[in-house]
Amino acid sequence: MSRGVRRGAVWAVLLSLTASLAACASGSDAGGDLTSEKVTLRFTWWGADDRHKRTQQVIEMFQRKHPNITVKGEFKEWNGYWDSLATTMAANDAPDVMQMDELYIASYAERGALLDLNEAEKHLDTANFDQKALATGAIGGKQYGLPVGLGMYSIMANLDLLAKYDIPVPDDTKWSWDDLKSIGDQVSKAGGGQVFGVQSPGINDAAGLSIRARQQGKAMFDAEAKVVLPQEIARDYWQYILDLSKSGAAAAPSVTIEKASAGLNQSATATNTAAFGLWWNTQLTALTAASGQKLKLLRLPGETQGPAPGAYYKPSMFWSVSARSKHPAEAAAFVSFLANDEAAAKVLLTERGVPANQKIREAIAGQLKDTDKAAKEYLDTVPVSDPPRITPNGASTLDTILKRHTEDVLFGRTTPDAAAASFIEEVQSEVDAAR
Amino acid sequence: MTTRRVFAPLKHLGLVLIGFVMLYPVLWMVVSSLRPGDEIFRSPGLVLDGLRTENYSEGWNALTPSFGTYLLNSAVLVLGCIVGNLVSCSMAAYAFARLQFRGKRWWFGIMLGTIMLPIHVIIVPQYVLFSNIGWVNTFLPLIVPKILATDAFFVFLMVQFIRGLPRELDEAARIDGCGHPRIFLQIVLPLMTPALATTTIFTFIWTWNDFFSQLIYLTDPDMYTVPVALRSFVDSTVATSWGSQFAMSVVSLVPIFLAFLIGQRYLVKGIATTGGK
Amino acid sequence: MSALDELRQLRKGGAQVRKGDNRAAFWFLAPWFAGLLLITVGPVLASFALGFTKYNLIQPPRFIGLDNFARVLSDERLHNALRVTFTYVLVSVPLQLACALGVALLLNKGLRGLAFYRSAFYLPSLLGSSVAIAVLWTQVFGTDGLVNRVLGFFGVEGRGWISDPDTALSTLIVLNVWTFGSPMIIFLAGLRQIPEVYYEAAAIDGASRWARFRSITMPLLSPILFFTLVLQIIHAFQSFTQAFVVSGGTGGPSDSTMFYTLYLYQQGFSRFDMGYASALAWFLLLIIAAFTAVNFWAARFWVFYDD
Repeated sequence: MSRGVRRGAVWAVLLSLTASLAACASGSDAGGDLTSEKVTLRFTWWGADDRHKRTQQVIEMFQRKHPNITVKGEFKEWNGYWDSLATTMAANDAPDVMQMDELYIASYAERGALLDLNEAEKHLDTANFDQKALATGAIGGKQYGLPVGLGMYSIMANLDLLAKYDIPVPDDTKWSWDDLKSIGDQVSKAGGGQVFGVQSPGINDAAGLSIRARQQGKAMFDAEAKVVLPQEIARDYWQYILDLSKSGAAAAPSVTIEKASAGLNQSATATNTAAFGLWWNTQLTALTAASGQKLKLLRLPGETQGPAPGAYYKPSMFWSVSARSKHPAEAAAFVSFLANDEAAAKVLLTERGVPANQKIREAIAGQLKDTDKAAKEYLDTVPVSDPPRITPNGASTLDTILKRHTEDVLFGRTTPDAAAASFIEEVQSEVDAAR
Repeated sequence: MTTRRVFAPLKHLGLVLIGFVMLYPVLWMVVSSLRPGDEIFRSPGLVLDGLRTENYSEGWNALTPSFGTYLLNSAVLVLGCIVGNLVSCSMAAYAFARLQFRGKRWWFGIMLGTIMLPIHVIIVPQYVLFSNIGWVNTFLPLIVPKILATDAFFVFLMVQFIRGLPRELDEAARIDGCGHPRIFLQIVLPLMTPALATTTIFTFIWTWNDFFSQLIYLTDPDMYTVPVALRSFVDSTVATSWGSQFAMSVVSLVPIFLAFLIGQRYLVKGIATTGGK
Repeated sequence: MSALDELRQLRKGGAQVRKGDNRAAFWFLAPWFAGLLLITVGPVLASFALGFTKYNLIQPPRFIGLDNFARVLSDERLHNALRVTFTYVLVSVPLQLACALGVALLLNKGLRGLAFYRSAFYLPSLLGSSVAIAVLWTQVFGTDGLVNRVLGFFGVEGRGWISDPDTALSTLIVLNVWTFGSPMIIFLAGLRQIPEVYYEAAAIDGASRWARFRSITMPLLSPILFFTLVLQIIHAFQSFTQAFVVSGGTGGPSDSTMFYTLYLYQQGFSRFDMGYASALAWFLLLIIAAFTAVNFWAARFWVFYDD
C-alpha cells in the first residue's frame, strides 16, 4: 500500500508542476468590459516602509472608486520579492499586478509570464506618456511594462565638503572623466585619509559602463540581444576605476567595496566620506536626508566629448500584469489608475522616481520638496539620447557579474584587459543559456 | 585557597570581557535604536547623547497592520510548531532509540537524508503541492510538517538523549508489565526534560527567525510574521528606516530572549535530580 | 573493582529483538511516515527529476539527460564554491564546537552569575540569521568597526575585513563561531543528564578531574557530541543565510564567500535554471551523505551507547 501512495504523491507533484506550467492562457479577455461582479486583484511590490504606506493609501482610493474590486497589496523587500515572485509564477499562482524591474522584465516577458498591455488599451490610458519613455517597457512591439518613474544617471556632489576644502564646484557642462579624477585627487589630498574624492562606479550597477559605451556611440547589447560592447571600452572603464583607486581619488578597494555594497544609508556619499558619487538623480532626497549635507546633481562627465550624450531616461520600475491573470481588464484599469490619477499621484509623489507620466509630473510639481524639485529639473533639462535596449532575457545577473569583475580588478586578481574579455564572454553565455 | 581567591575574580573578568565582545553588536543595535534614524551611520560607537524613543513608536506603526499583528502571528505559528515538534519528534525518537523493528537502520538513514537537500530546490515543488490543496496564505504549510515530524534535527537529537538514558529503568518497568506507551509516557518523557526543553527553545527561536518559508507561504500582510515584517523596512534601492528596523528588531528579540530565560531553567532538571536510585 | 569498571558493568545491557516491537514502532512512527509520504517524498523526487531537465520555472521542463551533471564537472565557479564551502566546514565546525563545549563545561559547574553568562553567550545566536546581522557585522569588521578601532589603538592600520576577498570568509567563520550558543545549550542539556552518582563514585576512588572528564563526561556525553558534530557538518554544508545577508546575496567580494547553497540558489532564483540547481542539490546531497557516513563509521570508535 505504502508504495502506491508514495508513487501517487510523486506523480501528483510532477503532474501539477507540468499542468501549472502548461496553463498559459489567461482566464478572460483583456479587451473586454470591466465586470460589475466582485473581483479580487493581487498586487505586489518591493520597497521599504514609506512606500508600503503610500501604496496602501492609493489602493484604498482605488477601491473607493471601484467598490466591486478588492485589491490585496503584498509588500516585500527586494530579494524576497524576486524569490517569492519566481515561486508563485512556477505554481501558476502569481499576483495579477506587479512592480517589475528593468533587469527582469525581458526575462519574465520572454518566458511568457507578462501580459502585452496593448491588449488592454481600452482600460489603460497612456496618452500622457512620452514615446521614448513607453519604449523602455516594450519588447518587439509588445508593451510588457508601463514605466512608473524615470531616473537619470548623475554625479552627486557634496557642496559642503567642497566648500570646506575650498575646492570650486566643477563646471559640469563640458567636463571629462579625467576632470572628475583630478578634482577627486584634490579632495582626497585635502581630506587627509578621512574623506575621498570619488565613490567608485562599477560596483552597484552596470549603468556606468553602459554610459561610457553610449558616449562613444556604442552599446552594451544590440537589438538581437547580442553583446556588442567593444572590449576596449570595458577595458578603459576598469582601467579608470583602477586609476581612481591607485591615485587615491577613491578610497582603498576594501573600503570602496564595503561602502558601495552596503546600501544607500551606509554609502560613502551618505556618510560624507566621498565628495562625488554616481547615483540616480531620484536618490537625491534620500541621500540628502542620510548625509545631512547639501548635495547637488551634476551632469555626467564626458557627455560633450563624444558623438552623443550617454545619458538616458531609465525607468525606475514598471507596472506589469500577469499573463495568467484571471482579471486582466480590471488589472489594467488598476494600473491605469496608478499611472494617471492625480489624487493618487499626490500621495505617491516621487517615491518611485519622477513620474514618467508628463501630465502627472506637472500636477505634483507644486507639492515637491526642494530636493525632489532639483531631481525633476535635472530630468527636464539635461540632454539625453535614445534609451538602450532592455536588458535581455538571461542577463538579469548583469549587475552582479559586473561587480565581481570590478572586485577582481580592484584587488589585483585580474587585469582590466582580461576582465573586459571575461565580462563580455560571460554575459554573452548567460544570454545564450536562457534561449 | 589563595589561588582560588585570585583566580575567581580573574575568571569573572575574563568572562565579562568575552561577554562584552560577544555582545557588542547587540549593544550597538540597542543603542542605535535609541538614536535619531539619520545619525545611526554618522555617529558610530556606543555613546548616546540622549534617549530617543520615537523609533519605537514609528517602527511599531510604520507598516499596516501594525507590528502587534506580526508578533501575534509569529506567536501562533511558534506555538503550533513547538507542540508539533514535541509530540511527533519524541514519538519517532522513542521508536528509533528503544524499539527493534524491521528496517530500522534504513528508515533512520532516510530520516537523516531528508535534511540533506537544501530548501531552495524543495520549495518550488512543495509550494505547488500546498498551493494545489489551497494552503497558501495560511499557517498550515508551516505547522503541519512539524506535526508530521519532518524536522529530523529534533528526532535525531531526542534519539541521542534517549540512548543516553540507563536501560535498566525501562527494563524494570517492562518486568512490571508496562507496555511501550506507558514506558514512553511515564519513564522516558520525564527523564528527557532537558532534551524537550532544548527542542522547545530551538523550535521557538528558529521559527521566530525563519524568513524564507514564511516569506513564500504568507502573502497577505495580515498574515505576515515578524521576520517578514522586519525585512520590509529594508530595501537597498531606497533609504532604509534603520532606526525603526533596529527598534523593532529589539522588540522582537524580547520574546525569544524570555523564552530562552524560562526554557533554560528546565535544562537543570533531568536525571541529575531524579536518577539517584 | 574500581568505580569506572563498575560503571562499565552497570552500563552493559544487551539489545534483544522483541516481538511486538514492529507494531509499536509503526504507531510511534505513524506521524513521521505520514509526513514522509505526503510532504517530503513528492517534492524530493520532483527535484530529483528536475535535475535531468532544463526548467526555467515558468515554461515546462525539458528533458536534457545528464547535461546538468556534466556541467557540475566543468563549472569553475562551482569548484570555487566547493573550495569555499569545504574551508568553511572544516574550520568553522571544529572551532564552534570546541568553543561551545569549553564554555558549557565551564558553565556547568556552580559558578556565580551562571544564568547571566549563559544568557549573554546565547544572545548572539538569537540574532545570527536576522537581517540586521549584515549591518551589525559591519560594525565589528567594517572600516569604522570595533576591530579596526582596537587595531588603531595599537597603531595598526585596518581595512574593510568583510569586503576584502582575503579576509571575508574568515569573518563569516567568526560569525559562525560567535553563534556557538546553540551547540552550547545542547551540551549543557547533555551534561545535565549525566547521573551525579558516577561522579560521586569516582570522587570516592580519588580520580583526578581529568580522569573524571575522560572516563565519565566524555563517554556519557559522546552521543550528544556525535549528534552535534553530524548535524553541524550538515548544517555548515548548507550554510546560506549568513553569507547571503552579509554579502547582499552576491557571495562577494570576488566570490570569496560564495557558499555552495548560495551558488545553487543563484542558479535557481536569479538565473532561473532550476534544473541545474536541482542537479547541484543532489550532488551536494552525495557529498553530505558521504561525510555523514564517515561520521557514523568513525562513531563506533568513540561514541558510547547504553544499548
